[in-house]
Amino acid sequence: MYEPKIIAYACTYCSYPGADLAGTSRIKYSPNVNIIRVLCSGRVSAELILRTFREGADGVLVLGCHFGDCHFINGNHRTAKRVPILQRILEFSGIEPERLRLEWISASEGERFAHVVDEFTDTVQQLPPMRQVLG
Amino acid sequence: MNRLEALRNAVGELLDKVEGVIALRNKSGHVAPHLFREREELNGLGLSPKYPLPATLRLIQNEYPEAKLGIVCRGCEERGLIEMAKRNQVELGNVTVIGLACTADEAEECRCAKPYPSVLVDAHVGERTEPVPDRVAEELRQKEVAERLSFWRSQFDKCIKCYACRNACPQCFCPECTLEEELWVERGRVPPPFPSFHLIRAMHTAGKCVGCRECELSCPAHIPMTALYALIRQEMGEMFGYEPGVDLEDQPPLVLPMEVEI
Ligand code: SF4
Ligand code: SF4
Repeated sequence: MYEPKIIAYACTYCSYPGADLAGTSRIKYSPNVNIIRVLCSGRVSAELILRTFREGADGVLVLGCHFGDCHFINGNHRTAKRVPILQRILEFSGIEPERLRLEWISASEGERFAHVVDEFTDTVQQLPPMRQVLG
Repeated sequence: MNRLEALRNAVGELLDKVEGVIALRNKSGHVAPHLFREREELNGLGLSPKYPLPATLRLIQNEYPEAKLGIVCRGCEERGLIEMAKRNQVELGNVTVIGLACTADEAEECRCAKPYPSVLVDAHVGERTEPVPDRVAEELRQKEVAERLSFWRSQFDKCIKCYACRNACPQCFCPECTLEEELWVERGRVPPPFPSFHLIRAMHTAGKCVGCRECELSCPAHIPMTALYALIRQEMGEMFGYEPGVDLEDQPPLVLPMEVEI
């Protein structure tokens, strides 16, 4: 079994502090995840996600604030529409849509962050490495 | 009366009421878009192959926003006009549309879901023919994910990155194109690496693509990219209840916030 490389784009207002809370609370979570802080989950474009896969990520997590909590009011609404469309584009072009996941994680949900990351790592581990897929 | 004569009559009649009619003109064995202004010019009126005339309307309206114009539209061009109008690329208030139904052969070539216009049309030319299912898209839907990957890899590997698909698309009107951003699509790499160019284009046409197939018909590598777009269109219909090119009032889902209870 290989160790998948996972990139998590976490918004600076909710999900990044959520990840921080997991850390300061000493909650163990999968070391496969590399967190990249972004201003808003709505900033994570399809281009960025595709490039992340192309650079060898086996899975991409997009983490944003729950509805109603977005610092930019509805930045996360864009994410909520964009990600499912990109998942279908991946699926129809031959990349498993499970490699891309969107979750809402608030600043107080450290445990949830750890749970999401662990579960996602398990899911991605079942799939072949991206480098092999992209050849 | 054949379709060409009927179209000539319809354009001629409309010329009395507008300043010009955008249609195709025969020129050195090909057709090209032309703004017909006099009845005498109508001998040169052409029919096919099709050409995205709404893009020409947009160019003319940029210079002459007040002009009263007519335009000949096939089913796909009408759908394109509707999506362009929603995004303020054309202004339909001063525009009269002559609808041109495609023949069964033309509909077959385009695998067209609606080979006739019916929404904006003020005059009709030609007989309606039956919609043609997109067999390439349906076959693709039946395949396993790994089979789809090898199908598209072999297709996208043929791409010479000529940008004809984007240039021909009436819905591709951004002054700056993400497909020319070095960060996403590196210069000098042919074919463009997977996944980049083609999936970015699929994302950017989602919710706009009306299945006119101008992109595919212009592609020198014969990449059947519209099959991918057709599947996305079906999925978006299910996800958001949105079908591009059907209704002027429906707003595209990607520009709206979600409807959620908070
Ligand atoms: S028209 Fe065809 S070959 Fe040219 S860039 Fe588009 S897909 Fe590639
Ligand atoms: S079929 Fe191709 S050219 Fe036509 S709207 Fe869709 S992407 Fe644009």
